[in-house]
Amino acid sequence: MGAFALAAIAPLASVARAQESAHAKELGQKLMCVCGCNQILGSCNHVGCTYSHDMMKELEDRIARNEPDDLTLQAFVQEYGPTVLSSPPAKGFNRIAWIAPIVFPLVALALLWDVVRRWKHRGAVATASGPRVSADLIARAQRESNKDNEA
Amino acid sequence: MDIFGSFALLLAFIAAVYAFCAGIAGIVTRRTLLTKSAHNAGMAVFGLVTLAVASLEYFFLTDNFSMEYVAAHSNRALPAYYKFAALWAGQEGSLLWWSFLLSTYVFFALFLNRKKHPELMPYVVVICAGVQIFFLTLNNFVASPFNVLGGPDASGTMRLAALSDGRGLNPLLQYPEMVIHPPILYLGYTGFTIPFAFALAALLGRYPGEKWIHVTRKWTMLAWCFQSVGILLGAHWAYAVLGWGGYWAWDPVENASLLPWITGTAFLHSVMMQEKRGMMKVWNVWLVFTTFMLCILGTLLTRSGVVSSVHAFAQSSIGNWFVGFLALVFIVCFWAYWLNRDYLRSDNQLDSLVSRESSFLFNNLILLAACFSVLWGTLFPVLSEWVQGNKISVGPPFFNKVNIPIALFLLFLTGVGPLLAWRKTSLDTLKRNFAWPLAAGIIAGVIAAIFGFREIYALICLILSVFVTLTIASEFYRGARVIASRDHTNLLTAIGELTMRNTRRYGGYIVHFAMVLIFIGVAGSAFNRDVQMEMGAGQSLKIGPYTVLCQNFDRLANNNFESERATLEVFRNGKSEMMLYPERRFFLASQVTETMVAVQTSPIWDLYVVYAGRSPETGKPVIHAYLNPLVKWIWFGGVVLVLGTLLAMLPNRRTALVLRPAETRERAWSEPRTSAVGAIARSDAHD
Repeated sequence: MGAFALAAIAPLASVARAQESAHAKELGQKLMCVCGCNQILGSCNHVGCTYSHDMMKELEDRIARNEPDDLTLQAFVQEYGPTVLSSPPAKGFNRIAWIAPIVFPLVALALLWDVVRRWKHRGAVATASGPRVSADLIARAQRESNKDNEA
Repeated sequence: MDIFGSFALLLAFIAAVYAFCAGIAGIVTRRTLLTKSAHNAGMAVFGLVTLAVASLEYFFLTDNFSMEYVAAHSNRALPAYYKFAALWAGQEGSLLWWSFLLSTYVFFALFLNRKKHPELMPYVVVICAGVQIFFLTLNNFVASPFNVLGGPDASGTMRLAALSDGRGLNPLLQYPEMVIHPPILYLGYTGFTIPFAFALAALLGRYPGEKWIHVTRKWTMLAWCFQSVGILLGAHWAYAVLGWGGYWAWDPVENASLLPWITGTAFLHSVMMQEKRGMMKVWNVWLVFTTFMLCILGTLLTRSGVVSSVHAFAQSSIGNWFVGFLALVFIVCFWAYWLNRDYLRSDNQLDSLVSRESSFLFNNLILLAACFSVLWGTLFPVLSEWVQGNKISVGPPFFNKVNIPIALFLLFLTGVGPLLAWRKTSLDTLKRNFAWPLAAGIIAGVIAAIFGFREIYALICLILSVFVTLTIASEFYRGARVIASRDHTNLLTAIGELTMRNTRRYGGYIVHFAMVLIFIGVAGSAFNRDVQMEMGAGQSLKIGPYTVLCQNFDRLANNNFESERATLEVFRNGKSEMMLYPERRFFLASQVTETMVAVQTSPIWDLYVVYAGRSPETGKPVIHAYLNPLVKWIWFGGVVLVLGTLLAMLPNRRTALVLRPAETRERAWSEPRTSAVGAIARSDAHD
């Protein structure tokens, strides 16, 4: 079902990429609108926004001049400040933003591994564990079993 | 009437304080009368807060603009249902609404358990009252919704003032979803108070066994379900109102609602390990504590102005109260845990790494990683400002990059988990269960790649979606086949019978399937496309298979707003298919302009059209059209999720049959050998 649905929309992918403004759209995703609407520049439709229109125009102009993307982004940072980038640049202190989401699961995995290892170790030296069964139920099972044996 | 509302609120505060103090005194002195009166006071809070809410609603519906809160969030021309919903449009009213929902939960939790768990309930009463005291303190002394306009005149006498009309409701909130989205999301947030109260109560009272989990399971599922629906309704509102073509922007307030949902999901899974094997007790208790604390953190983020958001309330000092409460909750939880940590020892150990238990462990690990990365991204701008002195933005590109791989791994575990048996799974079983769902998934992926699918995450999502769907289907099929052959029924009847025999297990599978639908819907966003064009009457634009022809633009007006509207005719293959009317509305009372998008929705894609305004250069109207594939699957997934959760909350049919007549149960116990062994097998087989 999911396969049919996703296959049905597959032709859109290539058409979308063929559009001329794709580069500006892509770069627009790396920038935030600075009007305070907290939206990605490429998506900002903030009514009466005095920034996004000019910013997109500037972006298109720079792309038309074949300016490298890095330079364009840098120019925007110089003009509007570091908040204009939609994600933290991977340098200096901001590198932590990217590293932490990788390190945290790894540390958690190491801890989990240690817990599992200790559990397994304890499990090996302890008596066989099983589903939690009340003492009454075990006694009854034993009585029934003994009765059968006697019979 | 304003005095009536604020007086009711003050009485509610007093009742909560009494319930808290009398409850503690009752626990310490072991006097039943005290604990009983605390119990009743806890329930009385509900009645009093209801009176306060009813009073404020009365002010809204009667346009009483001498009330500061009503004047700020309503106006005469506002339709009645929006006047009703305006109660939670601002800080003060939404806090009152929070108190109301919390008191409703507390009332039902106390009422339904009034004759049960005499050792546990006094603690529950005290904890619930403690949480209520905090919110009622805010309602009464920090952010009262019952402030009146006016002040002392020259002689020092208080004079009431009333505006002729209010400032109106925020136009972003004038949408049908806003009538139900906040209450439902709040039902999720506040609902997690009940499992939190029972968990903390069980820990403080060293309540034996896993009883608190059985008691709170349905409350947790209910809160989780409300939280899920609340999140999805919020996403739909963002999609239909904000007009940027998407439903999720990783906005801090959206993230805040996701955090407790993630830990709540982790709890609903790991709690099964405690029920079945007596394991992960510390983990579960902390998951419940964390979920509750994340609910409070979410409220803090929304209201304090710590992070900037489309949804956040204005910056206010109320955040300090939440920080204080959060710190207090953490201290109490840690203290309770430290004192009673020996009570949380595991009864069993892990038998094998290839088992249902280990899949739950991984599932929890991944969910926790997702929770951390969302929290980290949300709070990193604050951290950056603190350390570097300048704020940075953490937007969708960061969250997508970090969370998509995590989410896909979770989807994989959704398929793997049900295939593993409790305690240990043999390699042969694993191969047998995995082989064909995985093969089918890979084949689907290859076919999609041949058809031009090149988005790697969407492709992985497709493979995993097929894999998970087939594992779920095979679980239903295997169980139903046994029933069908034994009872000589058809497969469909057998599936119904199977589902009703273990509602929790099969309801859970349906929820898993709902998640698959939601994942497919989200994967569709990889193929979104849009066209923006200046259009005059008679001009057209092409997007996908559609041609959108602009017929004309007109203006409409009513007492509430004036609007400029485009009339668009949509053609497909040369045939006229539909008319769309995107608008821009100018709301008179608030003097704010907003877009009203027009959406034609189908299971394959949504044609989503925004009237984006007039071009500054030419003055011509600008139409922004989007073709968003598979969005409907997300909303449909939400419906399936609710149905699955409701099913999982129903009692098992077989349990009901066995437990009803006492003599039947007695007879069952007295049957030789198979009865006891069967009972053991039953307890083991469940889930």
